[in-house]
Amino acid sequence: MDIGIVIIVIVIAVVLILIFAFVGIYNGLVKLRNQVKNAWAQIDVQLKRRFDLIPNLVETVKGYMKHERDTLEAVTRARTSVQTVANAGVGERSKAEGELGMALGRLFAVAEQYPDLKANQNFLALQEELTSTENKISFARQYYNDSVLTYNNKTQMFPSNIIAMMTGFKAGEFFEVTVPAEKEAPKVSFS
Amino acid sequence: MWEQISSNRTRSIVLVIIMGLLLLLLGYFLGIAFFDSGILGLILAIVVWIIMNLIAYFQGDNILLGMAKARKIEKEDYPRLYNIVEEMKLASGLEHMPTIYIIDDPASNAFATGRDPKQASVAVTTGLLQVLNRDELQGVIGHELSHVKNRDVLLMAMCSILLGTIVIIAYYASRFLIFGGVGNRRRSSSGGGSAQLIILIIGLVFMILAPIAAQFIYFAISRKREYLADASSALYTRYPEGLASALEKIASSTNQLKSANNATAPMYIINPFRKQGLRASDLTSTHPPISERIRILRSMAGGASYKDYNQAYQQIHKGSNVMPPSALGLTEPVPLRSAQTGTAQAGGAYESGRRERAREINDLLWKKDNYIMLDCSCGTRLKIPPEFKNAIVRCPHCGKVHQV
Amino acid sequence: MKCPACHHSMIVIEYDKIELDYCTECSGIWFDAGEIELLLDTTNLDVINQSLQSPEARTAEKERRCPTCGKKMEKRKLGESSPVLLDVCPNGGGLWFDSGEINQFVQQLPEKDSGAISNRILSFIQNVVKPANQ
Repeated sequence: MDIGIVIIVIVIAVVLILIFAFVGIYNGLVKLRNQVKNAWAQIDVQLKRRFDLIPNLVETVKGYMKHERDTLEAVTRARTSVQTVANAGVGERSKAEGELGMALGRLFAVAEQYPDLKANQNFLALQEELTSTENKISFARQYYNDSVLTYNNKTQMFPSNIIAMMTGFKAGEFFEVTVPAEKEAPKVSFS
Repeated sequence: MWEQISSNRTRSIVLVIIMGLLLLLLGYFLGIAFFDSGILGLILAIVVWIIMNLIAYFQGDNILLGMAKARKIEKEDYPRLYNIVEEMKLASGLEHMPTIYIIDDPASNAFATGRDPKQASVAVTTGLLQVLNRDELQGVIGHELSHVKNRDVLLMAMCSILLGTIVIIAYYASRFLIFGGVGNRRRSSSGGGSAQLIILIIGLVFMILAPIAAQFIYFAISRKREYLADASSALYTRYPEGLASALEKIASSTNQLKSANNATAPMYIINPFRKQGLRASDLTSTHPPISERIRILRSMAGGASYKDYNQAYQQIHKGSNVMPPSALGLTEPVPLRSAQTGTAQAGGAYESGRRERAREINDLLWKKDNYIMLDCSCGTRLKIPPEFKNAIVRCPHCGKVHQV
Repeated sequence: MKCPACHHSMIVIEYDKIELDYCTECSGIWFDAGEIELLLDTTNLDVINQSLQSPEARTAEKERRCPTCGKKMEKRKLGESSPVLLDVCPNGGGLWFDSGEINQFVQQLPEKDSGAISNRILSFIQNVVKPANQ
């Protein structure tokens, strides 16, 4: 009799502990997944901002850089290809965005050769805006990748991996820079 | 990694609790010594503490920013500063954009306030904006935003309120003693055995030692948070050299901040009073010595993670840790990046010289003050204050007359 | 900002990235602390530093109050052959040249270390007070 009650109490306690642990881990996973989503949204905002700034830049630069049609066209083309993969997965998008970043980098490098352009207030403001947007993309990506790392670790490590499997948490995808040249800003010397 | 660092502050919190206990003990013993009632002393101490808290809670930010004569800045006013703050906001994963303030002061310094990350503010002096290039400013802003992210602002506010309460109580108790309150009371009370004498002595010892002890604890917490903020800044920017060279420039600046006081000191990136004292010794400063902070940042050769910072710290401090163990658990390598300032892509708008920055910032302030800008054909720019009464003004350079 | 000499409100003038406060009534010039630092950074005007560290000069010239902090300013001698009397804010807020003083100072400079000083800046400082002398 007495032993029976003790066993029942123990069983109930164990079940309660398990439920609490389950809820705790589950909530932790949800929180991390939301963090990943939020971090991705931040990148998205910046990518959109860059996308919107480019026509303005091309318009401003066009008059000054008559001999750099290739560079300008490369930017416009990269921008269009970003648009076509807008609904694709992280991997494809990061590739297209990486190429756009590189094309822009080349444009700014070439712009150094045009003193008139560099004196244009509108261009300077756009340059500040775009370079900073570039930074923001990479800082947001940094935070996103860190969030994905933490989240993926949680979904793969015991015991949270069991709950992740049961409730369908999938591993997040890293936002990698697939274009190797974009990792380092192009260095051009005009000596 | 991010969650852990902000939740792992056990050591700092234990120290805050010790400060709290110190306050209660002080109240208790002084209560016995002065009113024959420890409980009354306790209640008084708590009441003073609550009042201090209320004042700080409702006006904390305003007092701090008002004292430093800070002015709010929008994105249109100064895009570069706004962009850098936004960059660091993204890198730190803060959810809300902090409000930005500029303090018109030639001294170089910066601080962050805000009791929760939802409504934080960061303030920088015009002197700082003049001296630093973009990479350096990024390092400083990263340091400040990490104070917000790690909730140091709240922690340090709690500490300084506790410290303030202890100091105030001890101060008034000593006044009371000097002007003879206690002597009469002692004599009129019955008996007065040796036990009471001992309690009185304990009370006196507490009165003298508590403020000193509290100050030491306060400094210890503050220094620890500074190291952590430096490490976070390196992690956010992936470029510890930026902050290192910013600290170097700030340290060599000859101006002292006009509007800092003792209560606001720990909020700044470097101690605003460093020149008043002699060489700030280890235990009596809110900030670690700048040279040491620079040395640690510069020896982060392998990467920008907390682990790398900790290793660099260990080289100087013979094996002791500065980071909480949980921050060192994740071993994913964090690569450093190269400088932005000076690369071709970053040229132009990035690296304008110090004097250009000075003009940019001053013009911004003049415009905020409703100055009228007149560009004379000789290349001189006249900035006319709103209180200027004359209808015409002569260019002092070429003598041309302008209408105001 | 009010002129420390005649209390008229001063205007700000900028030329070649140098900025200073100028009184349209008495042509006095005020350099604030940040501007002095900039100037010392880009030129080798060590004489100014030496002057700032020299002891307070005794003089009958009228005392002036610092336009930024309101404290009484200290008189300092600047230059050797025919020294100029500077008014220096005791809190490091800046320094004040009365009308013509800066010209007098600049004119005696090139004898000593002309090569070390950026000519652009000197020519500006010299030119800024031209109309007052005409």
